[in-house]
Amino acid sequence: MSNKRKRFDKLLQTVTYISASIGVLILSLIVVFVIRNGVGLINLDLITNDYHAQFYNGGIDEIVTFSNTPRPNELDSGDIYSEKWGIALRDGLDREGKPIIEVVFIAEDSPLYTMYDKNNLENTEFKIEVENIISSVKFDNKPSALSIYGAEYMINELDAENQFREIVFSSLGGGIRGSLITTLYTIGLTLIIALPIGIFSAIYLNEFAKKNRLTRVIRSMIEMLTGVPSIIFGLMGLAVFVPLTTRYTPATSANLISGSLTLAVILLPIIIRSTEESLKVIPDDFRFASLALGANNSQTTFKVVLPSALPGILTATLLAIGRVIGESAALIFAIGTTIKDDISIFGKSTTLAVHIWSLLTDEPANIELASTISIIILFIVLILNISVKLLSKKYLKRA
Amino acid sequence: MNKTKKWIQEIKNKLHFNSKKEIVDFLVRLIFMISTIVSGSFIIIIIIFIAREGIKPFVTDNDGLGAVNLFRFLTGRVWLTGTTFQSTLYSVGFIIINTIYVAILSLLISMPIGVLTALFIAKIAPTKLSSIMRTVIELLAAIPSIVYGLFGAGVILPFVYNFAKTLGIQSPGGNSVLATVIVLSLMILPTITALSEVAIRSVGKDIEHGSLALGATKTQTHFKVILTSAKSGIFSAAILGIGRALGEATAVSLVAGNAQNGPSFGIFQTTSTLTSTMLQGLKETIGLDYDIRFSVGIVLMIVILITNTLLNYVKRKVGNVNVK
Amino acid sequence: MNNVFTIQNLNLHYGDFQALKNISLDVEKNKVTALIGPSGCGKSTFLRCLNRMNDLIDDCKIDGEVLYHDNNVYEKNYNVISLRTKVGMVFQKPNPFPMSIFDNIAYGPRCQGVKDKTELTKIVETSLKKAALWEEVKNRLKENAMSLSGGQQQRLCIARAIAMEPEVILMDEPTSALDPIATLKIEQLINDLKENYAIVIVTHSMQQAARISDNTAFFHMGELIEYNTTDIIFTTPANGKTEDYITGRFG
Repeated sequence: MSNKRKRFDKLLQTVTYISASIGVLILSLIVVFVIRNGVGLINLDLITNDYHAQFYNGGIDEIVTFSNTPRPNELDSGDIYSEKWGIALRDGLDREGKPIIEVVFIAEDSPLYTMYDKNNLENTEFKIEVENIISSVKFDNKPSALSIYGAEYMINELDAENQFREIVFSSLGGGIRGSLITTLYTIGLTLIIALPIGIFSAIYLNEFAKKNRLTRVIRSMIEMLTGVPSIIFGLMGLAVFVPLTTRYTPATSANLISGSLTLAVILLPIIIRSTEESLKVIPDDFRFASLALGANNSQTTFKVVLPSALPGILTATLLAIGRVIGESAALIFAIGTTIKDDISIFGKSTTLAVHIWSLLTDEPANIELASTISIIILFIVLILNISVKLLSKKYLKRA
Repeated sequence: MNKTKKWIQEIKNKLHFNSKKEIVDFLVRLIFMISTIVSGSFIIIIIIFIAREGIKPFVTDNDGLGAVNLFRFLTGRVWLTGTTFQSTLYSVGFIIINTIYVAILSLLISMPIGVLTALFIAKIAPTKLSSIMRTVIELLAAIPSIVYGLFGAGVILPFVYNFAKTLGIQSPGGNSVLATVIVLSLMILPTITALSEVAIRSVGKDIEHGSLALGATKTQTHFKVILTSAKSGIFSAAILGIGRALGEATAVSLVAGNAQNGPSFGIFQTTSTLTSTMLQGLKETIGLDYDIRFSVGIVLMIVILITNTLLNYVKRKVGNVNVK
Repeated sequence: MNNVFTIQNLNLHYGDFQALKNISLDVEKNKVTALIGPSGCGKSTFLRCLNRMNDLIDDCKIDGEVLYHDNNVYEKNYNVISLRTKVGMVFQKPNPFPMSIFDNIAYGPRCQGVKDKTELTKIVETSLKKAALWEEVKNRLKENAMSLSGGQQQRLCIARAIAMEPEVILMDEPTSALDPIATLKIEQLINDLKENYAIVIVTHSMQQAARISDNTAFFHMGELIEYNTTDIIFTTPANGKTEDYITGRFG
């Protein structure tokens, strides 16, 4: 063998090794990037908070008694405390990286607890809480203390007065509770719609349908759905399901139901194919035995065939859930992109994936929060895929 | 007259039930059959309804803006959003070219990398490494497109921007053909690798042994015999890959830049694809702007249909190797 | 030297299982040597030692010597690729590559660097003629090899091996997957080939061994029971087991 050929061989080998490393490395880079950027914002509050900050305007009457509480020990050195008003503030960052002033402590005898809601004098449950953000403190006789001046300035200004006109404060916002709930609702609704239709179709095609031209045509029509990009399904949702739901339900625009219907159509081929696979594995002997005992076709199906097909159906469900969580393009059209905190299945909202889209199309794009949500999505998708793998392995061992 | 009588009698026979059990059986089967018909009809519903909305701009007056010229739509080079400009100057021609251009480029990048990676996993790597890599690729294939979009926006855009700067080119935030192609290549890479790996693995050992017994080296065997035997499967992987590249929406719209005219061939130019156009400016969707999205949708479906048919035809020609 | 191969004290283990026990024999030039014995006795395993195809099987341990022209093929740094160009192999199930007939035959030479079109064409024609396939395919060399019948495919594989101009051709039950007529054709071919090549053939059929071989080796449970000229083995075998096998008492 000539040297030239040996060198050429070596070259091909090197190219192969390099390609393999590039492929896997760069793709893994995506996961690394997402984790690095998003890990900072992960905490329980993120999941339970609203997205939209609620703003409050608090006013106060003539002060009778000021606070007497000394500076508590648990405060950090960076926290600024006002003994007079019984409140500690800290400079921090919100979920978009902007500077804010957080309330870290309020003494029990703080006069701030006597504030009233300037927008609704009847509101008896109005109060300022720890973790709220103070945007500004407005005074009668001097310029307001704004959040950009920092916590120390605000406390000093407050301490110098016995009275203020208004405190504007808000909740933190940026939470994903709304989107999380939407995602869960959507998964539920979609499965309720898609699983029965899909499973029944699979059963019909595999157990009952005659092998004629019509069956083949219907089968290929279902197969064709797999080649359609999801954005087209979104258009279909917009053109078919949104008008349908606005006509027959209290909905007035794109809503969760229209979104779930759209997703159900996307999932149908997956569910049908997976269920059919597990039905095919069941030997005909089972069916014959049941029929020979006098059961009719539907009894055979429900009592004998379906239970054996359960693992396949479970696999289909897990795959479906994974697809729902990751889907964005179709839902942008079918549910909309408005992030909401109070979720109604008749209204617009965003799933986690669409929430990311919304964050990325804002100016400026909120990469950190988007990464955090991505971590959650990737984690769930990972668990789902591993479960599917384990399930198939166990199922294959049985069969 | 006799025929209808016979027909009615047949139906009566079919509906004749001997017991409650039979009625239940019949109803259950009816439900199953209806489900199947419903499932099969969705593709038709999609076509009909999208066609209905999509044809509107061409055949109606669009609230006074005038009908959009079909020919100009299909071949023109400019896309102006209607309400601000009060025009009907929507052309999708250059967008079609952009979409295909970008898809082909991504395929050209990810095919070699994907096939070679598949070769490595299937034939060269030791068994343990092989199964680890295979699982990793499978998991990567499950990453939703929006996360690729995030990666594109967060990493690829700054990278392209800086890269362009070193070459002295001013790129608008990094949005460019290059960014789009990189993101698309990454997206279709796992699929191509996984499918090619299956195809390569299924090449019979006897062919591999036959080549080695003739005095060929392992590398020669891989490239001259194994890859050529797996041609058919690898080609299918390419078809699937390009299908995904053509239909990808969210990730692309974040890095393409939404060029209003074109076509864009330079790698640092901004571009737009059929899908990114459909997503653009969703906030102002009324009237013509709303309907035109459907028209673009029709074009996308036709492009995908033509590409698939063409590629499947080529595949059959290329793949007539394994006939017996 | 009249021997192409000299095997001495060859032992082979697949993991814990010993497949070959202390085999010693010589393969003569320009003769057909048949390896016979019941299933699983190690004949194919032994065959694969001669061109080191056993390397492809995991967990295979070999000790002993396999001398090809006085060099032990199992010594360190032995050029395996070169060995395989001189010791060709035809497998039990025909395994043509999914390419044209021409490309199948030209594959080996191309791997060794032959690029000239005229030279390749000559090699293909010569090999196909020697394999008695030329007349049947000369007008469809560009056709896919998979379109040939089983017997033709096997002759193609033989032509493919011949194209390398080997010294020895190893055949592992080459006719077991073919019908009687194709089998006959291949046996005739082997008879012609032995003028130029040494052939070692594993066969399940004693009748085949008796028909075409000059020397016969009888294997049983990994051991070489008896090795002699075919005449002697089939008329006056020295070992009782050999006689039992020949007369059909087992196997």
